[in-house]
Amino acid sequence: MPKINVSLKDLQSLLGKKITAKQLEDNLLYAKCELDEIDGDILTIDVKDSNRPDLWSCEGIARQLKGYYGLERGLPKFLVSDSKTAVIVDKKVNNVRPKIAAAIVKGLNFTEESIIQMIQLQEKICQTYGRNRKLAAIGVYDMDKISPPIRYTTVKPEGIKFIPLDFKEELTPKEILEKHPKGKEYRHLIDKHSEYPLLIDSNNGVLSMPPIINSDFTGKVTEKTKNVFVEVTGYDIERIKTALNIMVAALADRGGKVFSVEVLYDKEIITPDFSERNIGVDTDYCRKIIGIDFSDSDLSELLKKARLNGTKKGKKIIIKYPAYRSDIMHQRDIIEDIAIAYGYNNMKPEQPRIATIGDSLLEEDFSDKVREIIIGLGFQEIMTYTLTSRENLFKKMNIREEKIAEIENYISINWSVLRSWLLPSCLEFLTNNMHIEYPQKVFEIGDCVAINEKKETKTEDNRKMCCTITDSKISYDEISSVMNAFMKILGINYKLKKSSHGSFLPGRCADIIADKKLVGMVGEIHPSVLNNWDLEKPAAAFEVDIQKIFQIVSSNKKGSAPPPA
Amino acid sequence: MKKYILTEEGRRYLENGLPEKKLLGILPASIEDAKKKIDNFSIALQWAKKNNWIEIKEGIIILKKMPEKIPEEEALEKINKGKNVDDDIILLLLSRHLIEEERETMQKRAEKLAGKEVTFLTEELIKTGQWKNVKFREYNVEVTGKKIYPGKSHPYQKFISEMKKKLLSMGFVECMGPIIDMEFWNFDALFQPQNHPARDWTSTYSMKYPVYGSLPDRKIVNAVRKSHETYWKYKWDEKKAARLMPRAQGTAISARMLPRADVPGKYFAISRCFRPDVLDATHLIEFNQIEGIILDETLTFRNLLGMLEMFAKEIAHAEKVKFYPDYFPFTEPSVQMSAKHPTMGWIEFGGAGIFREELTKPLGIDIPVIAWGLGLDRLAMFALGVKDIRYLFSNDLKWLREVVA
Repeated sequence: MPKINVSLKDLQSLLGKKITAKQLEDNLLYAKCELDEIDGDILTIDVKDSNRPDLWSCEGIARQLKGYYGLERGLPKFLVSDSKTAVIVDKKVNNVRPKIAAAIVKGLNFTEESIIQMIQLQEKICQTYGRNRKLAAIGVYDMDKISPPIRYTTVKPEGIKFIPLDFKEELTPKEILEKHPKGKEYRHLIDKHSEYPLLIDSNNGVLSMPPIINSDFTGKVTEKTKNVFVEVTGYDIERIKTALNIMVAALADRGGKVFSVEVLYDKEIITPDFSERNIGVDTDYCRKIIGIDFSDSDLSELLKKARLNGTKKGKKIIIKYPAYRSDIMHQRDIIEDIAIAYGYNNMKPEQPRIATIGDSLLEEDFSDKVREIIIGLGFQEIMTYTLTSRENLFKKMNIREEKIAEIENYISINWSVLRSWLLPSCLEFLTNNMHIEYPQKVFEIGDCVAINEKKETKTEDNRKMCCTITDSKISYDEISSVMNAFMKILGINYKLKKSSHGSFLPGRCADIIADKKLVGMVGEIHPSVLNNWDLEKPAAAFEVDIQKIFQIVSSNKKGSAPPPA
Repeated sequence: MKKYILTEEGRRYLENGLPEKKLLGILPASIEDAKKKIDNFSIALQWAKKNNWIEIKEGIIILKKMPEKIPEEEALEKINKGKNVDDDIILLLLSRHLIEEERETMQKRAEKLAGKEVTFLTEELIKTGQWKNVKFREYNVEVTGKKIYPGKSHPYQKFISEMKKKLLSMGFVECMGPIIDMEFWNFDALFQPQNHPARDWTSTYSMKYPVYGSLPDRKIVNAVRKSHETYWKYKWDEKKAARLMPRAQGTAISARMLPRADVPGKYFAISRCFRPDVLDATHLIEFNQIEGIILDETLTFRNLLGMLEMFAKEIAHAEKVKFYPDYFPFTEPSVQMSAKHPTMGWIEFGGAGIFREELTKPLGIDIPVIAWGLGLDRLAMFALGVKDIRYLFSNDLKWLREVVA
């Protein structure tokens, strides 16, 4: 979830209240945040809600906390005056990046900290809410260097030249995509088009090439900047309007005066639009969901604390919420705000009193039984990863490769496929424990994945059990006896059939056949496999398919098997 | 050379014949009759069967084969006359308690030890009473016994079993789901929009092979599509939903469970989950989740807090817990719980909430469903006092052998 840095002093000055970092630790919960780290004056804050971009800045957190501290209550108010400034939208943008919303904020006194916050908010919104600038990209400009009206249009890759931010030389849009770090990073958003988006003023001064880069002349905000032009481009007008509102609200909280802009599509729209939104909350439903019998006035107080306004109307409260919130889809979203304002840690947890009958999975119970038997035979249980590599499953095991479930975007080839059997995991374990006292007898019960085109997920999980013994001297007999004891305790009649398998020594490997099915194998590990795993002592193992064995045991129980002799 | 003599029972059989031989004399006979006529019937039946002389059909004992001679009888006769017999038959007769070693020879051997210091207290010394006349070497009993390593379950597994027991006793039904599952159950059915950052290539795995699964019932698919398109306002892509991936969250199992859940109902699943994370002291390449849902008309957010507290206090044995507001696309209200460990500080256990109606309604549920997905590894670390999560999938046999759990 978004992590932001905030200066404690800055937060205090926005709040107009002295608070300590220690107090914040608890208080921040009311702004859906968690204090992560304190480094002098700088607090790292984890904003828990990836759907509340309005909280991703010092201004946003202060605005929310004012409600908790009672410094400001209810819906925050934003005054918007008319600037008479126009942004003319050229139809050519329709195929490239069709939407823009904009605002002007005047009378700002930027400080180093407020510029840091503005840039941080802009970046976080573009990254997360804007899906890496694809759905929303924000530009902020020095309004005093712009001569309106502003045109949002497109330009040929070599159709104009301007100095991009932090560069010295003029470049064409094409050159920017090739040379500027931001051009390289975001070119995929526009380079499939024959023309690129461009914001340009009435003197043909370039503001920016959205969503890539601002011009160095207009698109730079410093402590000297007083008035700014803010725009957001993207595809969905609601999304970019919300992003704009969040940016503008933050600047307004810094003392800026907000002015609207006429955005001239076929039909003119005025942005920013701070008119509040409405949603109805059923008070009984709210009490029922939270589990607290709030009075109507309790609810009204809690709403104000959460920076919302409510008006009672019959059994409902009509909630007014700010125009920078895009997270509210359902009355539950308001109910959560009420619960947060009340304080999760002020609620009394209560275990549900619902009578149901517990039931475990037969297959899991059977695994427990298997575990108990093998432990009784003297084996230590181990737990390893399901992810492994083709090399471990096949090459090191001296067997032919098969189709298995493979991950596309693995982070390491060592964890790039899902295991199809357990023995490689057990041998890997032995390799990691060569310095530990022998004999070593270990087993694992674990899930493996096999391809099965008939299943809806094209794969099936197979639970298996593998038992291994290693010591200076071991014998096939030893492992075969363990396996025999295991099968006998389960009452399974089986046959051993000599088989050849690359992982085992020829003549020392057998298939375990029960109920005419191959249920596993037993054998002494082939020395070449031992070499592949860097193992220096002989080892023997048996591996069985637990599901198959479980089926046999279950059908035996139904009465088809002879009683034990 | 050991000498043998007949026991009282052996002597009786030598005079009257072995019971199994007597049994042959009255056949065919019903089991009931034979029982009345033959002393030691069960011995007779056991040996006659073992020797394959008889078979039993519908309660009637029938003679299968009459033996020409009975080696046990011959041997008893020989031993009685002081003659030697084969070791095999000696062992058999010893096991039937029909002969025993002559005390005098035993006595003589034991007497040789009189006054001497011996290491082992033998069967002979006990039987002859000669233990009274020997001295037993004293051991250094204060020395630590030699290390042995018995079979043991993994401490983590033990923790899981105990937790399961607790949940079953509380009326939870255990569920499971596939390791490789579709994005549909991992995300779409959970109302997580397809362009959500958590569904990015860097945040979840996708499959190279196999790539697509088959989506469930059209009715469910269409309801999920509608919910996404109505509330998240984008074009929902069925093809993306059908993509396979290693399960990213246990909630995928809850999503699969919902359409067929009972009301009221309590369900849980323990599941291995996969996300491309970097391995460190608190993150594993794979992790286990304990996922649970409860469905009932009366459920409240406080009930959810109650369940979470139960996990922290009764399962992880935490004394102090703290709830944090949180955000998950599939729950509202949402909460995260941390608990304070005496030495490790505050540990995050995972997220929970009440499933959104935008999620439950398409799956046919119209009542509150409280849900949680806790990091089982974290709970176990907490309970076992393991500081490094990597021990839970420990490669360290020494630790496994010696850990107190």
